[in-house]
Amino acid sequence: MHRLILSTLAALALSTAAYADVAGKLVLYTSQPNEDAQKTVDAFMAANPGVTVEFVRDGTPKIMAKFRAELAAGAPQADVLLIADSVTMEGLKTEGLLMAHPDADISAYEPGIMDAGKAWFATKLITTGIVYNTAAPVKPTSYADLTAPDVTAAFMMPSPLASGAATIHMVAVTGTDLGWGFYETLAKQGAIADGANGGVLKAVAGGQKLYGFLVDFLAIREAAKGAPIQFVFPTEGVSAVSEPVAILANTQNPDAAKAFVDFLISAPGQQLAADMGYLPAHPAITPPAGFPARDTIKVLAFDPAKALADEAANKARFTAMFGG
Amino acid sequence: MSITLHQLTRRYGAVPAVDDLSADIPTGCFFTVLGPSGCGKSTLLRMIAGLEPVDAGTIALEGRRVSGPGLHLAPEARGVGVVFQSYALWPHMDVAGNVAFPIEATGIARRAARIEAKQHLASVDLDGFADRRPADLSGGQRQRVALARCLAARARIVLMDEPLANLDPHLRAAMEDEMAAFHARAGATTLFITHDQREAMALSDLVAVMRAGRFEQIAPPQDLHDRPASAFVAGFIGRGVVLDCTVTAVAPGHAVVRLSPDICIDVRASDPGIGPAQVLLRPGDLRQDPAGVAGRVLHCTYRGDHWEARVQVPALARPVLVHLSQRAVPGETLGVAFSGGWVLPAG
Amino acid sequence: MPTETRAVPTPWSGLRRLTGAPVLLGLIGLAGVALFVLPLGAVARLAFFGTGGGGDAIADALRSPQVQRALWNSLDSSACAAALAVVVGGGLGLLIGLTDLRGRVALSFAILMLTMIPPHVTAIAWMQMLGPSSVLLQALGIAPALGSTHPLYSREGVIGLLALQQVPIVYLTLRAALRALPRDLAEAARVSGAGPARLLLRVILPLLGPALLAGFALAFVSALGNFGVPALLGIPGRYVTLPVLMWQRLASSGPAVLADMAVLSVIIGGLAVLAVWAQFRVLRRGAVALIGPPQQALRLNLGRARPLVAGTLWAVMALVVVVPMLAMLATAVVPTYGVALTLQTLTWQHFHEVIFVQAVTARAFANSAGLAVLAGTGVAALALATGALSRSSFGLGARAVTVLAEVAYAVPGLVISVGFIIAFLKPIPVLGLSLYGTHAIILGAYLSAFLAVGLKPVGVAFAALDPALHEAARVSGAGFWRRFWRIDVALAAPAAASGAVLVMLMAWNEVTLSSILWTRGTETLGTVIFNYEDGGYSTLAAAMSVISVLATLVLLGLLHVLGRNLPPGIIPWRG
Repeated sequence: MHRLILSTLAALALSTAAYADVAGKLVLYTSQPNEDAQKTVDAFMAANPGVTVEFVRDGTPKIMAKFRAELAAGAPQADVLLIADSVTMEGLKTEGLLMAHPDADISAYEPGIMDAGKAWFATKLITTGIVYNTAAPVKPTSYADLTAPDVTAAFMMPSPLASGAATIHMVAVTGTDLGWGFYETLAKQGAIADGANGGVLKAVAGGQKLYGFLVDFLAIREAAKGAPIQFVFPTEGVSAVSEPVAILANTQNPDAAKAFVDFLISAPGQQLAADMGYLPAHPAITPPAGFPARDTIKVLAFDPAKALADEAANKARFTAMFGG
Repeated sequence: MSITLHQLTRRYGAVPAVDDLSADIPTGCFFTVLGPSGCGKSTLLRMIAGLEPVDAGTIALEGRRVSGPGLHLAPEARGVGVVFQSYALWPHMDVAGNVAFPIEATGIARRAARIEAKQHLASVDLDGFADRRPADLSGGQRQRVALARCLAARARIVLMDEPLANLDPHLRAAMEDEMAAFHARAGATTLFITHDQREAMALSDLVAVMRAGRFEQIAPPQDLHDRPASAFVAGFIGRGVVLDCTVTAVAPGHAVVRLSPDICIDVRASDPGIGPAQVLLRPGDLRQDPAGVAGRVLHCTYRGDHWEARVQVPALARPVLVHLSQRAVPGETLGVAFSGGWVLPAG
Repeated sequence: MPTETRAVPTPWSGLRRLTGAPVLLGLIGLAGVALFVLPLGAVARLAFFGTGGGGDAIADALRSPQVQRALWNSLDSSACAAALAVVVGGGLGLLIGLTDLRGRVALSFAILMLTMIPPHVTAIAWMQMLGPSSVLLQALGIAPALGSTHPLYSREGVIGLLALQQVPIVYLTLRAALRALPRDLAEAARVSGAGPARLLLRVILPLLGPALLAGFALAFVSALGNFGVPALLGIPGRYVTLPVLMWQRLASSGPAVLADMAVLSVIIGGLAVLAVWAQFRVLRRGAVALIGPPQQALRLNLGRARPLVAGTLWAVMALVVVVPMLAMLATAVVPTYGVALTLQTLTWQHFHEVIFVQAVTARAFANSAGLAVLAGTGVAALALATGALSRSSFGLGARAVTVLAEVAYAVPGLVISVGFIIAFLKPIPVLGLSLYGTHAIILGAYLSAFLAVGLKPVGVAFAALDPALHEAARVSGAGFWRRFWRIDVALAAPAAASGAVLVMLMAWNEVTLSSILWTRGTETLGTVIFNYEDGGYSTLAAAMSVISVLATLVLLGLLHVLGRNLPPGIIPWRG
């Protein structure tokens, strides 16, 4: 606490120094995989030796539940949120729970990917497509291929109740010509929806399931390590989330939080994401090995505002089909 | 210190364990409460110690009320010592620690208390046992530790709850002597509880025979034996037979009773009325005499230094007990002479 | 001859009494309110009278197909697992307790290992032993076909592993009952001409009936509240039990669903209490008073079958305890899940990751160790205080706390957690202090859920103590606190220590309570392992599990060595 006050005073005195000397503790709530979260945090701390970052990791809905519980308890813990989707961020922003960072430099990014009000910032592009076990008899190339009964019976997807990316995927896919009928077919033929992306990776890599929906980086990265899986960008297109970062309004250490955001959207921060196997949001950074060129990836369109409005109804509809 | 009990009552549910009991135990007295199990004698001890509340009546120690209506002085504040039937030696403390505990309780430092405790151990001949655990001691040694703990508490009233009941019979006699010596040394008023009349006889200044929550009789041991106040006391203490009789003549301290038309004897009595009564015949009141009344031997038991025969005299309702110097065969006929007896007080 | 009387400080005695038992009663009462009345009361209040609660809400919940299915699954899995555990644990108990089998202590230890390894770790180990990509089964050529659902992701899988977890409970209950069985009874049957079979069927089993029933009830209640096994096996197997349903709803929706949670808590808590109550009723009716002191159990001669029986038992124990652990180890050393283990693929990177890179590992170890020690000592202290109070004139207060602790023990851990969240989410009035998100709330939940475990041995110890030991101290002039420290605490300390050891092991291994109470900085070992596995990081979960099992083994070894200098009975598997 003492250190915190000192560092805040110091930061105020040196506000012109562009947070070069930020210090103190920063708590990050994130849905990134543990290893990636640790790497991100370690790289930031190496660049800002005065700051100690602790992180808590869980799927987006679960980490949000924890955040809400602490808010209700009057003891919010987090300073910075780094979660899967911008829909949740929009919700937080309208509730006034986010702190804008007007000084952030987003000039290098395409317009539309970042929040115009600078309340949240895209950090990468995470697409959800199809993964299959290399020993599988069928090599699906499109969502339509998944409706073959043999394929569906060995198919699994992350649950929107546990994964933010899966929520967006559900909204994006049902928004296409396939519609909810596609999900109904999957459910009827025995497809399973359970847990977050990690669970799908485990099931498909472990051979309990042969096909699944999965985020791109997990599939491509683990395949490179030798996991018997292959990622496919379906012909209809992939859904995409931007893994946005935002500063919470009640942060105890706004300067360090801003420094963290600045770091993530800086060129070195984006290079770090690429090194970890993510498609960077920054157009100038080269995508990692295993990804097709940026302009060849077809992203399904979806309306965040509508998604936010329909969130509860969508989840209820999904739960009714797959049982949660 | 004296103990005064006044109309003391303690009930468990509706059943009184101690029932309207009064007694006055003088300072320095060795007072024994003798009774069968379940007569309320342990409850009485626990009430005096403060381990049990009273339902009615009062207890005063040296004139100071400690129990009564709305009054209950905690046991730790009464200054009485208790020797428990199980001795209640704390197994996690060594012998000196057990004896030092009551000294420490008065606020004396642990080390000083241990030194004082060793003096008390010496007085019960347990010099070398200070560092032993109670579990490593024999029954008699444990008994002595319990006594030393009482000494250490400097209690002026010592309550003993059947302290000899757990000892081997041959050890009991030796410990009886120690008890007597302990009483003489400490000079404390001692309330001793037992169901063993031999112990009561051997140790006591006064014995109270207790039955169903009341004292039947309080008397010195010999009076109790020779002049019991009731058939219960007569049956509980010593051996003997109670027979129905008729008092035909009375003199101070004496009476003539008729047991049957043929048998009239001169017996001790305390102011009986003429008419039907009960007479106690101890074996000492009869002897074998060829000139006496003829009776048939029913049974003969060896009692150590004599034989005890149960003899049925045809005119009497019950067989009498006679001491013989030699064995008699059941069925044999022998003569019995009546030389005394005690007329039980009426009521 | 010492003749002077030591003065008794009469004026003080009244004051002393006031600061004695009543103070202890106050402390115990405060603990009882904070640990039991507030949390459990909060659940009940919210369920019956809160907004979103009430009789209609309970009826609605019971009508919901999801809840109905979960409730049925809970009852089904607990009853089947308990029955299975009675058969297996009872059989083991009879075999080890009644025969001249060799290595009985080692076998007992191996059986106890089933509880020493936490349920979520057991589940992970078995999942990795039996799946389509099982290193072991692939080597044997009997791995399930690719694409087939994991055989453990099913009703049978949940029941099987739950039963395995409950075997030691039944085993210990039965062994204790066998030890209390007078040998005379068996010998009387033998001399009356009964062979071993008749002896077992006509004398021993009928006398052990109450113990077997008690074992069943304990196993049933424990399985009902189990979270780790159904969470890891039941969720992918679409076999959701009530505790898992509660966790799912709370974990993905946060405090908005607290009323909903309270309703479900009341349903499952009521079920557990009902089961325990029924057991008491049946036991009281069927109780047979045993006459005679407990003696050395009899040793039936197995004859030539002895090596065969011993060999089979050890082989089964190895298969049940060691092989899953090896499967887990195998998963921890491959680069990513699904890769076959060869000399080329062997890697220690996951151990490196969890030990040196993930900061949460060190925090979790420190948190779990600290919480375990505090829970153990806290339970021991509360148990000693309750035990001492039960001997004073305030025995009613002690009994009330004991009953509350028994209820909290029977109630599933998740209900306790929900209760603590409801009761302590908002800052405490006046103090303005929020317990939510602190170590204190997890510690409180541990004390609440595990107090009964510590009360039991201390209660038995106090009951077995000659009351005269306490009375002797009173008449020796010792006041309440001197008696409390020098007599009560000193005499019951070994029993309290044995309770503390059990509680420490339980707290070290638990995941149910902390799974919804943890937050940043208060992660426990269980939650970290569970989150790795739940998030799909099986290799990290395996590595962390291996480390946690090793740490548990070191802890047990340490206790075993320390146990040599402790009175018998403190270390559960010794004596």
